[in-house]
Amino acid sequence: MTSPITRKRWFFAYAALAPILAIYLFVRIIPIGRTFLMSFRNWDLIALNKPFIGMANYLELLKDPSFQTSLVNTTVIAFGIVILSVPAALLVAVLLSRPRKLSAFYETAYFLPVVTSMVPATLAWKWILDADLGPLNQFIGFFGMSPKAWLIEPGLAIFSIILLSAWKVLGYNMIIFLVGIRNIPATYYEAATIDGATNLQRFRYITLPQLRPILLFVSVITVIQSYNVYTQVYVLASDAQGAPGYVVRVLVYDMIENGFRFFRMGYASAEAMVLLLIVMTLTLLQFAFLRERT
Amino acid sequence: MTKRFITLILTALLGVSFAQTITVWSGFPEMEAFYRYVADDFEAENPGVTIEILTQPLRDFERKVTVALPSNSAADILEISSSFAARLVQGGLIPALPDNLAEYVRSEAYNDFFVENASFDGNVYGVPLFRGQGALFYNTAMFEEAGLPGPPQTMEEYIDYANQLTVRDDSGNPTRSGWSLRLTGGGSGVAEKFWTIMHQYGGSIVEQTADGLWKNGYNNEAGQQAVQLYVDLVNKDNVVTPELKGDAEGFELGTTAMFIRESWVIGDIASKAPDLEYDTALLPEGTIALPVNLYVTNDNSEAYAFVEYALKPEYQLWLFENVGWLPNRQDVDYTPVIEAIPQVEAFLNVPEEHNLFTVPPIAPIDEIQTRFAERLVQAYTDESLVDNPEGIAEFLAEAAAETDAILERAGLLGE
Repeated sequence: MTSPITRKRWFFAYAALAPILAIYLFVRIIPIGRTFLMSFRNWDLIALNKPFIGMANYLELLKDPSFQTSLVNTTVIAFGIVILSVPAALLVAVLLSRPRKLSAFYETAYFLPVVTSMVPATLAWKWILDADLGPLNQFIGFFGMSPKAWLIEPGLAIFSIILLSAWKVLGYNMIIFLVGIRNIPATYYEAATIDGATNLQRFRYITLPQLRPILLFVSVITVIQSYNVYTQVYVLASDAQGAPGYVVRVLVYDMIENGFRFFRMGYASAEAMVLLLIVMTLTLLQFAFLRERT
Repeated sequence: MTKRFITLILTALLGVSFAQTITVWSGFPEMEAFYRYVADDFEAENPGVTIEILTQPLRDFERKVTVALPSNSAADILEISSSFAARLVQGGLIPALPDNLAEYVRSEAYNDFFVENASFDGNVYGVPLFRGQGALFYNTAMFEEAGLPGPPQTMEEYIDYANQLTVRDDSGNPTRSGWSLRLTGGGSGVAEKFWTIMHQYGGSIVEQTADGLWKNGYNNEAGQQAVQLYVDLVNKDNVVTPELKGDAEGFELGTTAMFIRESWVIGDIASKAPDLEYDTALLPEGTIALPVNLYVTNDNSEAYAFVEYALKPEYQLWLFENVGWLPNRQDVDYTPVIEAIPQVEAFLNVPEEHNLFTVPPIAPIDEIQTRFAERLVQAYTDESLVDNPEGIAEFLAEAAAETDAILERAGLLGE
């Protein structure tokens, strides 16, 4: 039997959490539930009749080349961002981990893209990547390379989106790593120094193992965020003349197009449920891995 | 003192009750100048009425309308193409015009083509404003330099002239395209441009069947010829590439010698490249005409009044001369504009045998075109389709199956 004081504490805890839980229920759980139900209907955005069609939307997804392209592109982009941004952020964090005169400046400089709004940042990149006038082509020209159609050639367009997204998320990941590195006890490094360890060995045998939980956390967060890639694709490469459109189609873009352009909300809901399933599976897998290793 | 106070309060209240804001949304940013021009006069004649105009790029605008209309948060007046409006009208989201305005639309002021495209089930819903009608734009200086006597008259001449007008660098890559074709881009624009070319060979993206339904109209010789034309000009003849600046921008910059576009380009050239030497010409067989209408979303008398006001001849002329879009009123004398801008003639004086076609007002047409466009974008740069009629036939058959599947899902597939 719980004491009155304990009961009061529990009551206080629930009362304090209630508003947040209510908001979460209203803006997250209920919409997800409704999306799930919509995915079993032929839900036309403007038609009055929205008949139940069972698994038909899901079965159509299996045969839809547009959805398959979106899924492949999104996966390539998501893992591309992780592969590019996580090691880069770790490297920058290691370089900035020792307080120096200009550390604060560099930390701010690397973090600036995180707080920059995605649309203006993407527009700036659009100019950088422009085939005719972009400085990137001028830069590679110094090394004797021919100009590239960064936003038109399919493979390069996807690479450009990965590059931009990795640049955008690098600062956030760097800060997390930096906090982790600075929390590693200095005694470990002192002992290693006494034992004659090189910088590389200190990184390999102290920093990296100590950062493993953070490494996994950063990877999870990055992959989840990256699966929701949309704005940069929309601004950089879709829905405009001179853009590859189809070849950089991603899941969220496909969903929006099906829902709000073709009015097929039921079908778009099925896509949303698949995306939710992918992200949840990845999260559970990585957390299981995280628990095992820590 | 009390009297003055009461008078002040009453005046303020009356002012509030009579003040009205009419909102207008458009998917063509260049149209803002037109609405502002009309609105200034309208507001001056109707004190207390304010016109608010919002323009956005077309696809963003269409998404906004799709979301806003069902939630009753759309503008009072929407400027929408008839093909996009068809779904909204059929869904009961746009009311029919009041009798007086409907009668006006049915009058001699408009050609039957535009009345039909603004109507559904015998009722008139939209007021025809302008149309997107295609024609050839060609750089006369470049034609002269290449020794070409005038615009091409047949599709064979189009291909031949395109080759002669192309300028290539030492490695054979074009630095100036002889004919700018729409090769990339999201949305249905790629398919619409392809449709115009294919129309010259007698094809259509969808065609009506005897039972009044629809089926794909491109899995045939016309589709084959049109795809062949694109594939050859991109991969074999090196006339045009996706990277080279094309369309209106390329034409104005001098990186393309000719291209097919709507009349708005005339206004664009006037503002961005006023010294450009160019002319326009009819296409060999016919061209696309996409009617854009004004729809009033609620029973707002001031909104109807503004729509009627915008149709005055002086505003139709202003629209044509300053924005470049082709007004739909046929009872207006456009001679002053033709005299001032001779290039508009190819859009205005269209002979009867010149066939105008439009995007049919069926629900899935945008999806059909968008999906087909995605396939076209890939096919255009597919080198394996060069000198490969079987490959093109296979491509067309696969795309056509998708088109028919979309029609079937919508219950519109005919025999």
